[in-house]
Amino acid sequence: MAVERGKRLRQYGLKSERLLWPTKGPSVFERELGVEDLESMLGLTTVEKAVAWAQGSSIWPDTFGLACCAMEMIAVVTPRYDIARFGAEVFRSSPRQADLLIVSGRVSHKMAAPLRQIYDQMLEPKWVIAMGACASSGGMFSNYAILQGVDKIVAVDVHVPGCPPRPEALLEGIVRLQEKIKAGVPPAYEIRGVAS
Amino acid sequence: MSYSQLPGLVETIEEHAETTLVVDPARLVEACLHLRDDLGFAFLSDVSAVDYLGWAAVPGTSEVSGYWGGRGGRDLNDPGTWGLQRLPQPKPKRFAMVYHLLRLERDAPRVRVKAYLDEDEPVPSVVSVWPTADWHEREAWDLMGIRIEGHPNLQRILMEDDWEGHPLRKDYPIGGEPVRFSGEE
Amino acid sequence: MAVAPERPRIYGASRIPQPIPTVLEVPEALRETDDILTINFGPNHPSTHGVLRLVIDLDGEHVVGLAAVVGYLHTGFEKNMEQKSWWKAITYPERIDYLSFQANELVFVLAIEKLLALEVPPKATWMRTLLCELNRIHSHLIWLGTSALELGAISLLWYCFRDRDLVLDLSEMVCGARMHTRYFQAGGLAEDIPPGFFAECRKFCEWMPKAIDEYEAILTRNQIWLERTKGIGLLSAEDAIALGQSGPILRASGVDWDLRKADPYLAYGDVDFDVPVYDGGDVYDRYRVHLDEMRQSVRIVEQCLEGMPGGAWIADDRKVVLPPREELHTSMESLIHHFKIVTEGYRVPEGEVYTVVESARGELGCYVISDGGPRPWRVKFRAPSFVALEATATCMADALVADMIAIVGSLDTVMGEVDR
Repeated sequence: MAVERGKRLRQYGLKSERLLWPTKGPSVFERELGVEDLESMLGLTTVEKAVAWAQGSSIWPDTFGLACCAMEMIAVVTPRYDIARFGAEVFRSSPRQADLLIVSGRVSHKMAAPLRQIYDQMLEPKWVIAMGACASSGGMFSNYAILQGVDKIVAVDVHVPGCPPRPEALLEGIVRLQEKIKAGVPPAYEIRGVAS
Repeated sequence: MSYSQLPGLVETIEEHAETTLVVDPARLVEACLHLRDDLGFAFLSDVSAVDYLGWAAVPGTSEVSGYWGGRGGRDLNDPGTWGLQRLPQPKPKRFAMVYHLLRLERDAPRVRVKAYLDEDEPVPSVVSVWPTADWHEREAWDLMGIRIEGHPNLQRILMEDDWEGHPLRKDYPIGGEPVRFSGEE
Repeated sequence: MAVAPERPRIYGASRIPQPIPTVLEVPEALRETDDILTINFGPNHPSTHGVLRLVIDLDGEHVVGLAAVVGYLHTGFEKNMEQKSWWKAITYPERIDYLSFQANELVFVLAIEKLLALEVPPKATWMRTLLCELNRIHSHLIWLGTSALELGAISLLWYCFRDRDLVLDLSEMVCGARMHTRYFQAGGLAEDIPPGFFAECRKFCEWMPKAIDEYEAILTRNQIWLERTKGIGLLSAEDAIALGQSGPILRASGVDWDLRKADPYLAYGDVDFDVPVYDGGDVYDRYRVHLDEMRQSVRIVEQCLEGMPGGAWIADDRKVVLPPREELHTSMESLIHHFKIVTEGYRVPEGEVYTVVESARGELGCYVISDGGPRPWRVKFRAPSFVALEATATCMADALVADMIAIVGSLDTVMGEVDR
């Protein structure tokens, strides 16, 4: 087909020059590479998907170990379970450098304020995993001292059950978080607020 | 081991191979000095506070708290529903401060010193006798509300500084709040 | 057993601060100069072994003032346990000291058995000994891995956690859970020991001494480690006793005191082991004590494997212990006992006891008061880490900031235990 003058390329539906103009031979670039069909060797994607893939594959957690779950969280760093193969290579001590807050352990009311402060110091986008029964819902401690679920003060993306959850369970939680991110689900603070 | 010289000794109880010395709180520091210097109990293992409110009360009439706040509450464990077969021996006063001492010798001889206290009755501090009592006494003040006289730094230690109430008392509810589930808003 | 008078004195006069024994106060002269920087250290900090907050005053790099603030992990264990029946309350103590969890379970269960005057069969006693020693190894491994990590020896973390996973594999084999096994029951063990456990445990005992040799090869004569730990955090024997210290801290200060030898409980009277005692009172000696204790624990585990008796794994008292399931089909009394125990719970006679065990951190005590009913009246845990933190101010004389990390690490505190 002939190219009509005065019409923008996008009005033809984002097709490459070669498809629009099939009689035009392979470009200099293609001749140098020695290929016929460059489209089959290129990945076409959107910026959102590319960014989501990058974000999901390199989530860096914050060192926020509180109680027994922290021991299993440290175990997840060790070679047997190895969180590094999921991209969470380093646990950052500074919340300013971390993407993921794994709340591992029971949160007392005294600790709730520092927890919220650390969460606020993290830069967007940030995700939260509530690891273990105590972080998810207060666990076995239904009393005056323990916050009944950390989602009362921060927005949680993934809850990992267990007391304490096995390191494999935490890894499952991280994998599901990665899938959520790559699927384009926004972080929890955009979807829901916190319970009062 | 003879405790007959102990100042302020009210009663000696031997049970489960353990010796309990009930002591008058006004002479507590004297008694502790005697135990440390004359009898060799150089190691203070533990200081506990006990609240006997509701002890030996007829089931169903006590003020002991149940679940979910309040005095009655939905107490599935109310003694009235299960029934105590025999009421325990009544205690002279509401509170007790209990000190566990140890001698660093073969067979680890231990002794328990107990001082009964009324509500609002203070107990003298034993920090001058065993410095380790510092935090233990702060915890007794924080969680049970027993005033320690002569303590150098009597502040809350486990609860927040502006917390009201003393959680481990029997008339303080177990507390807790409902868990929020994601389905409900 | 007590301090020998001819033992070399680590320092002269007592260094316990006055008037508050647990707070290091800035001297008046320094305070006037306006050079003091007050820094908050925690509660969220990678080097504080949990949620500990230290408010320190610095004069350059020297720590001249220190106050510890705890309570960030206060869970209300004691009040919660008062609300539950005796059976359910056994689940709670493990989470108090979450590294040395078997010792917590053990001390509470021993208290219940003492009040009940319940005889535990020998197989359960020996198995409890074995599991407690494995747990001691577990706790020391985590301590070594994390303390070395804080001082820069990062590779120890990987080595120690590799072996810690072996211990947890054994736990998992026994009862299904890695940590917080809830395997001890009033009267013995919750279930019989599964087949295959002893073989795996033997393999572990063959491997572990070689692993400890590896750690020693990395650290014990390492120049950097010696510079950072020798002579740091001195605590004399007299100060340690006055401050109520126990466990590795006391043994590193020259006091030969171990409850397993002084007042043997479980099967410790029947096994042969040494108690390491060093008299330097510094961080290095505490490290040596921990390593030697690991070796001795392996010895105890091997002897438990050799001497493990057969027979029942739980006592026979049907008022407290569930009857075997097969009997429920044939015996009406067993069914009634089972029903009563599960729904109502067993009653523990009126009384009060204070049971003590030697956990990985020192003297772990449990003071239980029963009013004769189905629930505990008062449960108080004497946590060795709570007392160990009281010694921070004393050990911190002439410390630099970097030394402070080493000292707090060497005190081996678990905040779950401190705050309960």
